[in-house]
Amino acid sequence: MMVLQVVLLVIKIVLLIGILMGGFAYTMLLERRLLGFFQLRLGPNRVGPGGLLQPIADGLKMALKEDLMPLGADPLVYRLAPVITLFTALCIDAVIPFGAPIHLFGLSVNLDIANPSIGLLIVFAFSSLGVYGLVLGGWASQNKYSLLGGIRASAQIISYELAMGLAVMGVLMMAGTANLEGIVLYQKAHGWLIVPQIGAFIIYFITAIAETNRTPFDLPEAESELVAGYHTEYSGMRFASYVIAEYINMITVSGVAVTLFFGGWLGPVLPPIIWFFIKVAIFLFVFIWIRATLPRFRYDRLMNFGWKVLLPAALIYFLGTAAFVTGVI
Amino acid sequence: MIAFIVLAIVALAGALGVIVARQPVHSALFLIVNIISLAVFYILLSAEFLAAAQVIVYAGAIMVLFLFVVTLLTAGKDDHEPSEHLAGQRGTAGVLAVVSGGGLAVLGVVFPSKKVPLGLPHNFGNLHGMGQMLWGPDFIYLAAVALMLLTAAVGVLVLNRPQTKSRPEVRLEERES
Repeated sequence: MMVLQVVLLVIKIVLLIGILMGGFAYTMLLERRLLGFFQLRLGPNRVGPGGLLQPIADGLKMALKEDLMPLGADPLVYRLAPVITLFTALCIDAVIPFGAPIHLFGLSVNLDIANPSIGLLIVFAFSSLGVYGLVLGGWASQNKYSLLGGIRASAQIISYELAMGLAVMGVLMMAGTANLEGIVLYQKAHGWLIVPQIGAFIIYFITAIAETNRTPFDLPEAESELVAGYHTEYSGMRFASYVIAEYINMITVSGVAVTLFFGGWLGPVLPPIIWFFIKVAIFLFVFIWIRATLPRFRYDRLMNFGWKVLLPAALIYFLGTAAFVTGVI
Repeated sequence: MIAFIVLAIVALAGALGVIVARQPVHSALFLIVNIISLAVFYILLSAEFLAAAQVIVYAGAIMVLFLFVVTLLTAGKDDHEPSEHLAGQRGTAGVLAVVSGGGLAVLGVVFPSKKVPLGLPHNFGNLHGMGQMLWGPDFIYLAAVALMLLTAAVGVLVLNRPQTKSRPEVRLEERES
């Protein structure tokens, strides 16, 4: 029994990493194709049928590129930084339930790697560690553009993390549990939380875009001012780790949003896991759509928006939810 | 027990690294190692909420602010030590370390330790237990600490208030002209 569980766990871990890597490759292709269509051009469509083999070509190119390091760089931290980013990005998905528990060999198998009672807080713990990769990468490169990018990343992510935490607390209070599976089961009984928590969801989604450094919040890698921000000096697989982490973070925040606000794997007819992926795919499309539509924020406006608009709004919504849940209203 | 020993070694190595490392950024990294190994200690004690809070608050927020300042201050500087301003502080520190360590050792021998009752209280350090404790009978202390921290934060803002009443944009223009 014990052996079977360990084997299942290993299979689940390998599957999860496979899904995330495949998800990254094809989200990137989807983004390039969609951006092409948004801008009235075709996008990459030459490698394989309809460009479907493009990610493999990109991967080969990245793997074969020379790995450069600036002379003044701090060698240990320079090599460590992309690893931290990729590691934390992959870890978060371990607690997200991808589907309803399935029955296999007389065992009930949860479709997540771990199911801790404080899953939501684990998500936040790992995502708050992700910023180290950006700051350290920027610092270790010993390049002023990289450094500015790293500093921007830390300031931005700390500012928006507060509003994100407060927005999610409403869900935690309504469901009465921080266990992600418990939150989905609550929504099965009481309807999706997007209805009572629409304000919290809007705040969560804005902060999620900022946390993943996507346009219009991609100040840390603003190419018109900072060359490429924190990853200016990186090349080859180390550069690829940063890009992979960015896309996996997109998938992760989409998965968390689906779990918290849109009923996770719940849905009629189709199997639960398919529903989960459909919902995540819709979120990914919105991410790309926003990138194609909105221009980048100015830096002071970004900070003003985070501290003076999002944080008070999240706090007010949080207090309102608390009053509602405890029965004051 | 094996987990405890491994973790203790990692935590101690992190703590030593903080003071041994030459680069401030390396010190900050060692401190993060120390904080995270403490969080794993909490998990071993099945205090999962404490562990998550430790990582979110200390590793995720406070240390990021530390790094923010340290990276700004140390960018592009050589990492050799500045000359010492206080003469003989290494010797004094050594003497103090020997005296305090010896004192602790003597105390430990003179007053041998009693057996500590093992076993953790119910709900130790998980979400429910912490919530019951903080918002139950001990709420007054929580409120007092919160008020103190808020006062400190507001105090810093007041003390650093610019003397002139001008808005930031105006001051920027003045500086440029």
